[in-house]
Amino acid sequence: MRKFLAVVKHEYRKVVLRWSFLIGTLLFPLLGLGFAVVPALIFSIKGEPTRIVIVDREGKLGPRIRSNLSPEKIAQKQAEALKKSSFEPTVDPKQSADSLKNLTEGFVFMPFDLNGKSDEQIRTELNSMAAEKKIDAYLIVPDDLGGKFEFLSRKAGDFVASGMLEDAVNDAVRSERLTEANISENTLKQINKKADIETKAIDEHGREKNSDALLAASFVIGLMIYISLTIYGQVILGAVVEEKETRIAEILFSSARPFELMLGKLVGVGLAGLTQLGIWVTSLALLVGFLMLQTDIAPLLAGAPHITPLMVGYFLLFFLLGYFLFASIFALIGSMVTTVQEGGQFAFPPIMVMLIGFYFSFAVIRDPSSPLSFWVSIAPFWAPITMPVRILAETPPFWQIALSISINTIAICGMVWLCARVYRVGMLMYGKRATLPEVWKWIREA
Amino acid sequence: MGEDDVTLRVDSISKSFGDFSAVDDLSFNVRAGRIFGFLGPNGAGKTTTIRMIVGITIPDSGEIELFGKRINGTAQDHIGYLPEERGLYKKTKVVDQLRYFAALKNVPQKEADRRIDRWMDRMELSEWKNKKTTDLSKGMQQKIQFIATVLHDPDLLILDEPFSGLDPVNVEFMIDVLAEFRQSHKTVIFSTHLMETAERLCHDILLVNKGKKVLAGSLREVKESYGRNRVAIRVDGAHDLLNNFSGVESIEEKADEKILSMRSDADPQELLRSLVSSGATVTKFAYVEPTLNDIFIEQIGGAK
Repeated sequence: MRKFLAVVKHEYRKVVLRWSFLIGTLLFPLLGLGFAVVPALIFSIKGEPTRIVIVDREGKLGPRIRSNLSPEKIAQKQAEALKKSSFEPTVDPKQSADSLKNLTEGFVFMPFDLNGKSDEQIRTELNSMAAEKKIDAYLIVPDDLGGKFEFLSRKAGDFVASGMLEDAVNDAVRSERLTEANISENTLKQINKKADIETKAIDEHGREKNSDALLAASFVIGLMIYISLTIYGQVILGAVVEEKETRIAEILFSSARPFELMLGKLVGVGLAGLTQLGIWVTSLALLVGFLMLQTDIAPLLAGAPHITPLMVGYFLLFFLLGYFLFASIFALIGSMVTTVQEGGQFAFPPIMVMLIGFYFSFAVIRDPSSPLSFWVSIAPFWAPITMPVRILAETPPFWQIALSISINTIAICGMVWLCARVYRVGMLMYGKRATLPEVWKWIREA
Repeated sequence: MGEDDVTLRVDSISKSFGDFSAVDDLSFNVRAGRIFGFLGPNGAGKTTTIRMIVGITIPDSGEIELFGKRINGTAQDHIGYLPEERGLYKKTKVVDQLRYFAALKNVPQKEADRRIDRWMDRMELSEWKNKKTTDLSKGMQQKIQFIATVLHDPDLLILDEPFSGLDPVNVEFMIDVLAEFRQSHKTVIFSTHLMETAERLCHDILLVNKGKKVLAGSLREVKESYGRNRVAIRVDGAHDLLNNFSGVESIEEKADEKILSMRSDADPQELLRSLVSSGATVTKFAYVEPTLNDIFIEQIGGAK
């Protein structure tokens, strides 16, 4: 037992004390941070307002454009856009508009005297003002609606400002045309209004829940398990091949039983994987917590799926089940081959099996209670990926979870037993790769 | 413990892989406080035998006893094994590897750290303690491997080709260390195909070929059994006499002397008398012990 623990400790430290582990562990939360927090922070940094002159001889469109560019209007527009793009229908446009108002940089309208100046003079004067940095941009409104608008800006690259201006001009022109055609803005809005469809799932307790957010979360869970299994499978493969390649196995086998060594390796690397997932899950929880505190974004998260600690527990448990299943396959491969490269070729089939499991998780997300979902979520090798997805999408009855755990535990015992037999012979076979009939013989004779 | 205490008793062990019989009914004893040379050509079954002694594989039949007890897991903690093909973890710090190997032999960490420091100091490797294997030269790696073999203070040390790749200074150093082991009444089994080294170090030898014992015993006994039938002479003239003397089987010409192999029933003294009376000037006349190399070639070459 002491030797077993020594192996566990050694393998755990070997993985955790590597730079790649540190980087990999930090990268995920940092990416999450990058996607979720950084844009919010960047938006909260207000840009300098754009100082703009609107040249409008007719005086018809100018006031409309001005009002369209007011901070209230811009914020309202952005909130509407957000509502359209987001899967989150519970956002109240008014509420968001209030919060977004503070986030958006605005326009400042600069006075400019047109009286008695030719177009040419106006241009030259405005251009020199821009050059002196007295103004940032100007807009020349044509005399009739069909004419060409000219927008000249010192900061032509500021696509946010240009975009807003374009929208404001378009809206102004449209309103003007509507007025000319005697149609009120409100009538048009009524005509244009889209039917509002909100998709929600009903869970087994008859409660409504939001399906889009669930879909995303289930997908993330499936992906996380799939990626972790692939990574830690390869870690095991590399560690086994290293001991074989360097002939350390010979020293190890003269010190401890092969079974202790193999199991210690699986457990040690598995704990390292659990550490990484633990850090990820924790940082995800912290991230969500942080976002909740940001009042600006909190409404977006109101419909986030409710993940209970029990679900997190299941998630880690199924990761471990999948890990032991696949890690023992990778250990078996590692003891068969002579180099890491050779091992890479043999690693393809188990990775395919994982990938198929990952694809099955889409079917599970679509219909978590279908017979297909039931079978793939209890089947060995696939359940570790599909069952957590299913639990999140629509928690199945407990007996199914228990059945899945038992079946996969039995499969693990079988795989570890098989692997141990190949491992003790294979690790000492140098020189050439073992063929499958040879491996079969080792299993039978060991 | 006396000189005749048996550390290791190997009793008619056999091991075959499929149709190939790697070790066939092999028996021998290794005595405490002696260096035991385990000799044989490549493929003779040396490594297979050693693997069975250290508990890596189990014999098909026969028994192995260490200190009077059948070999088992706890016995492994008393054996230090330096395999012929050996390596270290490439990207792990030297001290971490040594700690791991010590832990696998049930050495408590504190004690292990003390011993690691002592050995690293002795091998003049202290400043490499926190380096990775890839930073070390081949010779340094070999020394680290040796330290890993002795960290748990084993009673039986099994070294498979321990000097391959070591420079002469380090070979001498290792030989000193082996001598110390012997003095503290520990046992060393030492497998090599370098007969000169074996001849210099070993008290007892076992020569195997094709899985079977060819000869065994103390170096003294083995050499004596190969007898007093070789004579080195340096003589002017008397060419014909040497060629025609009936007891001489063959003459090997060396740079400035001849080695005569004589029939076992011939009397070298008779030859000396004949030479002297023939008037030839004899400047050297000496019995030559067979070297291990000679014995090896005779035994293995003859068996082929």
